[in-house]
This record gives sequence, C-alpha cells and structure tokens, in this order.
Amino acid sequence: MNNRPPKYFTRLLAWFCHDDFYEELQGDLEEKFYSNIQQYGQRKARTQYRLEVLKLLRPSVAKKFRVQTQNNNIAMFKNYTLVAFRNLSRNRLFSAINIFGLAMSMAVGLLAIAFVNEIYSFDQFHENKGRIYRINNVRTFLDSAPQAYASTSLLTADRIRAEVPGVERVSGMFKGFSGDLATGENNYSFQGYYTDEEFLRIFSFPVLQGDPKSALKEPYSIVLTQTLAEKIYGSTDVLGQTLERNGKEYTITAVLKELPKNTHFHFEALASLSSLRNNEQTTYLFNWSTMWSSYAYVLMQENANMSAFEQSLNQIASQENAKMEQQSIALTYERLNDIFPGDGKYNQVWTVVPKSNVNSMIILALIVIVSACFNYANLSIARSLKRAKEIGVRKVVGAKKSQVFTQFITESVLVSLLALVLAFFLFRLIRPEFLSLNYYISRTTTLELTTTTYICFVLFAIFIGFLAGTTPALIMTRLKPVTIIKGVSNMKIGGGINIRKVLIGIQFILSIGFAVLVSLAYKQYQYALNFDLGYNTEAILNVELQGNDYEIVKAAFSQIPEIESISGSAFLLSTGSTNSDYAKLPEASDSVVVYSMRVTESYTSTLGHQLVAGREITSQLKTKQMIVNEQFVEKFGFKNPEEIIGKTFYYYNDHRMVVGVIKDFHYGTIYNDIQPFAFIQPEENQLYLTNLKLKSADLPATLEKIDDAWSEIDTHHELQASFYSEDIERTYQTLSSSMKTYGLLAIIAIGISLLGLLGMAVYTAESKIKELTIRKVLGAGFYHLVALLSRSYIWILVIASAIGIPIAVYIFKTTIANNIQYTISIGFWELAGGALMVLTVAILTIGSQATKAALTNPAENLRNE
Amino acid sequence: MKGTYLGEFQEVVLLTILVLEDNAYGVSIQEEIEKRTGRSVSRGALHTALTRLDEKGFISSEYGGATAERGGRRKRFYQVTNLGKSALEEAKALREDLWSSVPKVALQKVQA
Repeated sequence: MNNRPPKYFTRLLAWFCHDDFYEELQGDLEEKFYSNIQQYGQRKARTQYRLEVLKLLRPSVAKKFRVQTQNNNIAMFKNYTLVAFRNLSRNRLFSAINIFGLAMSMAVGLLAIAFVNEIYSFDQFHENKGRIYRINNVRTFLDSAPQAYASTSLLTADRIRAEVPGVERVSGMFKGFSGDLATGENNYSFQGYYTDEEFLRIFSFPVLQGDPKSALKEPYSIVLTQTLAEKIYGSTDVLGQTLERNGKEYTITAVLKELPKNTHFHFEALASLSSLRNNEQTTYLFNWSTMWSSYAYVLMQENANMSAFEQSLNQIASQENAKMEQQSIALTYERLNDIFPGDGKYNQVWTVVPKSNVNSMIILALIVIVSACFNYANLSIARSLKRAKEIGVRKVVGAKKSQVFTQFITESVLVSLLALVLAFFLFRLIRPEFLSLNYYISRTTTLELTTTTYICFVLFAIFIGFLAGTTPALIMTRLKPVTIIKGVSNMKIGGGINIRKVLIGIQFILSIGFAVLVSLAYKQYQYALNFDLGYNTEAILNVELQGNDYEIVKAAFSQIPEIESISGSAFLLSTGSTNSDYAKLPEASDSVVVYSMRVTESYTSTLGHQLVAGREITSQLKTKQMIVNEQFVEKFGFKNPEEIIGKTFYYYNDHRMVVGVIKDFHYGTIYNDIQPFAFIQPEENQLYLTNLKLKSADLPATLEKIDDAWSEIDTHHELQASFYSEDIERTYQTLSSSMKTYGLLAIIAIGISLLGLLGMAVYTAESKIKELTIRKVLGAGFYHLVALLSRSYIWILVIASAIGIPIAVYIFKTTIANNIQYTISIGFWELAGGALMVLTVAILTIGSQATKAALTNPAENLRNE
Repeated sequence: MKGTYLGEFQEVVLLTILVLEDNAYGVSIQEEIEKRTGRSVSRGALHTALTRLDEKGFISSEYGGATAERGGRRKRFYQVTNLGKSALEEAKALREDLWSSVPKVALQKVQA
C-alpha cells in the first residue's frame, strides 16, 4: 500500500473545495493523515482521511459553482446552426453519409416506436383496466406437462359469481356466436360472442344506442357493432329489429360504436349468454372440462385481496377436479394489461402478439440504432481534424468548454432532425413490408400514427442526436488551442484507431451474419416450396364448399370443360393439418397410429397419386373403403402391397377395406417425417373442399367461369378459392417471415456498415494523401498504393466473416431449422453467397476510394500544400 | 444581537487559539480541542466555526511557511483579534454575572 492519502478523495476535495481554502484544508488533512499513520497505522489513517473529506462536503467549503448567465443564448444557437449548415454543405459526401446512415437506422427506430406504442395501447381505454382480470386454465392431461390456456370453462364464471367475495363483477364469454344473420331477404356472415350483461359493464365499449346494463340480459338479445348494423340496415337506428340465426330470432337491444382496433377482443356482434342456458343441447358448455373457447373476466373491488381470491380459485378448481378423471385443471388469473402482448397461452380470444416478439423487435432496433450512432461518431471524430482550427479560434476568443460542447451537440441534433425527415419517408416505405412480416403483426397492428407517436419521433431524434454527438463533442471540447495553433498535422485525435476498427468489425459481423442468415432462410423456404411431395399439386384449385353440398357443387362445376377432374376432401394435406386415430386388424389387439384424410372417389387420381397396387375408392361400392400408403403396409407387417388389398381394418369407428396402396408421400410438412397414412371415405358433412384440376390456356377466363358457376349455387357467400401452391406457400409463412425479417435487417445493417466503411475509407485516403503523393513521386505503382490503403480494412472483413458466418449458421440451426425434418444441406455456396456479396461491395467501396487517391496527379496535392 | 453572538463551540475555538499562542493552525487547534474536551472534532466542523469567526471579525489569519509533511502546503495560522478578545471577555462577564446572581441554595444538589 502506498504511503499517500487516498487519491480519489483528494481529487474530490480539489474539485469541490473553494480555491481560497484548498491549500489550508488539504494541508491540514495530509498532515493529520501522516500523524495518524504513525499513531494508528495505514488503514485507520486512510479511513479517517476519507471521512474527513466527506465531512468537508459543506456549503461553506464548496466553491461557487458558477451558473452561466448568458443573455446571448439565442444568438449563439443561431451561430451554431449557421456554422453547422455551412459545414454540412462544405462536406457534402460526409453529410450525406451521416444523414442517410442515421435516417436508415432511425426508420427502424420509428418502426419500433410506432409498434411498441401501438402494442402497449391495447385495452388501455377501459375505465377499470387496473381492476380487470382474466381467469385462465392450466390443464394437465394424464401425465403430460401442464399447458396454460387463456380460456376457462363458463362454469368458472358462474361459480365465482356465486361464491367468491371481493369481486365486483364477473362475466362469462363464449366465442361460438358466428355464422349467418338473416333479415328475411339477405344473409350476412359475421362473428361474435355469447356473453352476459356484465360484459359491457366491465369493459368500456362505447354504446351508441340502447342500455348497456341490460342489453344482454334476456335470452336471444343481440348487440351489434356500428359496422355490422350499417352493413345490414344502412343505419344504426335499429333497436327492436329482429335477426334470425340458425332458426332462432334475436332482438337487437343495443348498438356499439365501432370497436377500437387496439383491444384483444374481435367481434361484430354479442348475443346474450342466457340464450345458451336451460337448453339441453348447450348444457355441455357449462361443464368444467369444456374450456376451449369460453372465457371468464372479473372486475375486482377496489383494494381487493388477491391472495384470498387466488385461494378461492384453488378451492373451486380442487372441488371440480375431484369429479374428473384423466385430467386436472388449475385456475390462475392475469391482469388485463398482461393479456396483450401476451406470454404465449393457448386458445387466445384473438391473435395476441407474444411479448418475446416485441422484445426482439426492440433489441434489433437498438442494435441498428447504436450501430448508426457509432458511424456518426466515428465519421465526426475522423473529420474533427478539419474543425480543429475553428475550435481553436473559438476557444482563444473565449468559448468555454461547455459552449464548444453545446455547439457540437447542436450540430448532431440538427443532423439527426434532418435525418428524421428522411427517416419518416423511409418509415412510410417499409411500413407495409413490416406489417406483412409476421402473422401476429399483420393480424393486430396497423402502425397508424397518433400524436403521441409523432412526439415520440421528435424526442427520439433529439435523443439520437445526443447519443451520436456526445463522443465527438467531448473530443472537440478537449482540444487545446495551443496544440491547434502549433500545427494540426502532428495532432493525435480520438486516440484509439483500434477501437474504431473493432467497432467497424462488429458492424460487419452483423452485416455478414444477417446476409448469411437471409440466404440460408431463403434456401430453406425455396426448398420447402419446391419440396417433392410425392403427388402433383400443379394446377389444382381448391374451392371451399362453405356448407354447400359437395354433389351439387360438383354437378355445377362439371359443366365447365376446362376442369379436368373434380374431387372432394376434408382439408388440405401438406399444409400442416392432420387427423389421426388408431387402426387395427379386427382380430388383432395391437393398434397403430394412422394419419388420415377423408376424400371422395377420384381424389387420388386428381392429385396424381401413384397407385402401387389395387384401385381407387369408388362410390359404387357399399363397403367402406380405404387407400393406404406403403408405410402402412410395412407397419402392419405385410411383405408386399398386393397382400394387403382386400384386408379389412378397424379404423375411425368402422370396418374399412383396403382397396389400394399408393406410394409414400408427404401428407405433412417438412417439419414431419412420413408415418402410416390412409385415405378414407367421408360421412355426411365431412367435406370442406373441392379440388379442381384445371387444364386451361386462359386461366382468368376459367376462374371467371368457376366464379359464375359458384354464384348460381350459393348467393350468400363469395367464392373462396386458392391454388394448392398458394396454400403451401401460406404453410411456410413462418419461414418466409423470418426470411423477410432477416432480409430487412441485412439490408439496413449492410447499408449502415458500408456507409461507415465508405466514410472511413475516404478519411484514410484524405489523411494519407501526402504520404501517397510522395510514394507516387518516388515511383510506387498503382496496385501498391491501393493495397496500402485497403490492407487493414480487408483484414477486418476477413476476421468479421470468420466470426459472423459460424454465428449465423448456429442461429439458423437453433431457431429456423430447429424442428424441421427435411432441411437443406449447408454447403460452401450457401454460406459464401451472402458473405461474398457483402465482401464484394465492401471491397468495391474501399477500392473506389483507394483508386481515386492513387490516380490523382501528385502535382495537384503538392501544389495545394 | 445576532452578528456578534458567540456560540459555545466558537468560544472553545477562540480560547484554544489563545492557548496555542503562535502555533494555532488547523491541525493543532483540532488536536488541542480533542485533547482538552475529549470530543472528536472533524476538520469540516472546525472549518465552519473558523469561517464564522472570521466573518464576525473575531480572528485573523496569515500563511506560514510550507512544510514537507503537508505535501508542501502552507499552514494558515490564526490569531484572535481585539474584537474577538472583547467578545470573549463579554461572554465571560455575562457568565460571571449570572454565576454571582445564582443563590447558593439553588446550587445545592438535591438528595434523591
């Protein structure tokens, strides 16, 4: 331990102590310190010293911290602005790089702000939002892991209402109120909820007509939203009118104002829950285990005791679970504020953006913004040489440190405000792209701008100005006039060139990483789309039956000559939907899980499945038939496909005879491998689609004919048709959305880092101009000079790719390709493609500057000296 | 008379300066007070008292020579001014006056 008084405390004293007292006081303390060492030893003396210093922190000791009294503030800011603009226009290239770089990242920042603002505005308009809770189920089935559901049984709401104290209001809600509303002349499809009269008292949905307190009390009451009322009647003055749904008459008792978009509810109409009570067909809805699309909300009393509430919930749950086998359900509750964005519960009322999405959005935006701020700082520091004289003069004339600092902050805030204007246009440009990025986002957000968002934008720009400007401003502030006047050339500015290189390197790791990720995600997406499914989806148009009878639709479409063949199916294979049940030979006891889909005759030929043995399903035969795949044959231990023909299996509650065997095909997605599969025949009302194989040169005309044929069968519903390839594309939306996300980020990251690199390259070339000229005069060749300028940057790029590529591969494997069965093989080009692109552009950037510097006439530069 | 009021601690400081004669500076005053009264005095507290006394014109000070044990910093020696001395006398006279006015009986300690 050294023998001196604690350094930092001495400094602290020196900083705050008035000059008049410092010598005396510091001397006294030090003398005392040394005598204390003699008397008590080092440790105690040091502690004593520190305490003494701290006790000296009193007003009578402190120096007068001068508060600047400037009455020419405005004039100074005017001057700063003027000088800033002069500077911007003098260095057009650098200003452009700075402004554009900041603008790109700020556009991402604006997206994040608008997004986060919107996400966190959800359900904030309810008056009682702080006291509203939703009851959730956590269901454990047999010994599987418990799963959290947003839904609960309607019984939960009823029991809470009857038994639990501390609850002001309870509302049960059931999602199944949808379909068609009939006025007598027309049908209107809609979707809505059954709920009770408490619903409109817990939540603050503004009411246009009617009394919200009683509107949902009587059975068969209906509340419409403004839009639906206007759609049906052309006005909102519709109280007392009746609408028919499934043979029941509903009386309109209230009309709600247009629903705000930022709520986790999504409905066009509400019907009274009492309509479902005292009805034999719907009593099952009030069972404890019917929890799939019903919800319970409570409004707690002020200062309610939530732990007592929790206990009551546990009690209800354990009483009900006692009556059940196989599964148990626990009740939990969550605040209204925690519903959206949510934590990934199943069975949400409507789409809920997961909190993790919001967080990763914020993190990505921060990365991009910090990266751009660094660029600004880096370029400004590099340019500060040119500003040194200005600062020297300012300081000599009497500028204080704080004034120089203010000047440079003003400048960077100005730049960032200019960038904001540009960023706003970029924001408008990428907004639709962003909205279509991801399923959750496109279903819930609009990114419409509110006053708050605008204010946030401006504050954000000012903040960015500070963030980017602080480092350069501090460096400028530290410049000493004497050094500047002695000569700019031998000044060291900004110190750590190495830190700058590291930071550029990090930017390139990000760029290369994102670029590689995009190319991998793109390859995987293409792979999934062009995956050989084992059957033919080309020119297949799938038309939703929408409740119409398959035979009628088939008869209508058969009139169109361009339709080669028609079949019906229960859903779409290879898009992620599957059904399965156990199948067994009637006499055997072993059963095998077999996936299946219900189809009509001619399905297998329409979709081009290859029969290995036997024939297709036919409607001529009374016997129930099935077609199985090769896996099925193998799993049941048959040697060859012919043997299984004619065998009968017990499957889906019936005996079914195998009439054909088809080659294995991918009925699932690239996320699944192939298991036993069977096509079986549909019962009544089990078909949802008809598959049309088209052979036509003039597709639009054919589609028109199909549309015409459809409108003759069904006057209520629009034709809902899509090509099989589109449906498959939709299946791999997660892949395409991660591809798009990484793509967007890659473009921005690459853009920003290239701008940074360009700036640094220009700066290096400029600052080395004298060296280059002399070398050239002495006979250095062109390539030598280019190499001299680019060498260090090339190294940065090489190291950045060595780090960036493995990280990208790791992220691809752990996130995108995590649970995919059929993935692309990652070869040289998959990796090198993205990286090489970034490298090429980067080398071109450096090279262009190096070339420019190497080609200038030496006389030009020497003459200017 | 607020301006010339002499606080208890200030009185102790003034007297200590007189006791120390020519050697009254920060550390010595501090140590002398600690030695005589047994209470620990921080340099900060002493500084405040000295500043107040200086403001009232009771003390004056001058810098002495630098010594190595103080990191080369000069000592500041304090002296009591005439005004300070008369303030001390006044305070003393006030007390003596009070003492002499206290009846003997009142001083007898009560037997509990």
